[in-house]
Amino acid sequence: MNIQPGAVVCKDSVVTGDVTIGSKTVIHPKATIIAEAGPIIIGENNLIEEQSIIINRLESNSDSGKKRVMIIGSNNVFEVGCHVEALQIGDNNVIEMKSKVGRDVCISNGVVVSCGCTLETKETIPENTVILANGTRRTQLERPAAPTSQVEFLTKIFPTYHYLRKAQGTK
Amino acid sequence: MELPKVYYEKASFMETTSGNIISRQSLICGSQNMIFGGKTVVMPECIFRGDLANIRVGRYCIFLNRSVVRPPFKKFSKGVAFFPLTIGDHVFIEEDCVINAASIGSFVHIGKGAIIGRRCVLKDYCAVAPGAVLPPETVVPSYSLFGGDPGHFEEELPECTEAMMKQATVGYYKNLIPSSKVEVSQ
Repeated sequence: MNIQPGAVVCKDSVVTGDVTIGSKTVIHPKATIIAEAGPIIIGENNLIEEQSIIINRLESNSDSGKKRVMIIGSNNVFEVGCHVEALQIGDNNVIEMKSKVGRDVCISNGVVVSCGCTLETKETIPENTVILANGTRRTQLERPAAPTSQVEFLTKIFPTYHYLRKAQGTK
Repeated sequence: MELPKVYYEKASFMETTSGNIISRQSLICGSQNMIFGGKTVVMPECIFRGDLANIRVGRYCIFLNRSVVRPPFKKFSKGVAFFPLTIGDHVFIEEDCVINAASIGSFVHIGKGAIIGRRCVLKDYCAVAPGAVLPPETVVPSYSLFGGDPGHFEEELPECTEAMMKQATVGYYKNLIPSSKVEVSQ
């Protein structure tokens, strides 16, 4: 596990396997990041809330020797209870509460996956798309805002209430 | 109609002096900012984020498994602040809910898997259907049932909602029996 300086990772979170966490990323308690089938690289300024699950899942029917790298970009928000297995996630996305993103999906930049949506088919979501729970999609003109102000606030208060994992060290 | 008796393992729950029964497997962050009114029940794997802002919970509230109670945040020009969250008395919150509301009144029933958006206001005597998704800043008026995604008004609740919720919450609390006591009686 490689935690860059500036990242705030609670000890109460479950982080297993080869996970690289960029600086200014905040990982709330009870978030789960499991790198089974290969490393996970998380960019900067992301917000991973509690009960969210990010898994680089080991599939039984795939080549067992092949390592798959899961790359998550910067400025993303993973809200409470989301379940993410996608291997490629770009920047400025919002994966809302209790949504599910399957392994074959490739999320570009500025995508909003609404509460309770499930994405399972093999596809690449174009930029600035909003995916609603009833299946409709629309394109918005602006990207979702980066969670910078929230990340700053949490970086200040988390040390008071939580034990944090040390940066830039292997466990 | 009597509620079924629910047995809990005495060792895995804490019981406070005011009668709160809180599971040891739940996560209560910032417990110094949390006020439980008394006789509330918190089942395993619930998450209360008292570290973000104050959370005040009333009497006879029931939080079933895996519910997440988080204060909502508001963006200001100068930054972000998390607002205190108040929950009234006799509130029944079922499993897997996510609550980001600004305030929840008394005698409220939140169904299984509901998602209450940021800064929502739930007035007294209302209900949220299972699986509902309330968008941010929804106001749920009294005596109404909101459901669906996005949450909208579904039907009106009867005037006896207060009595029903009181009976449900008090009954659930009374029927929550520690399993070690059962062994003694046998």
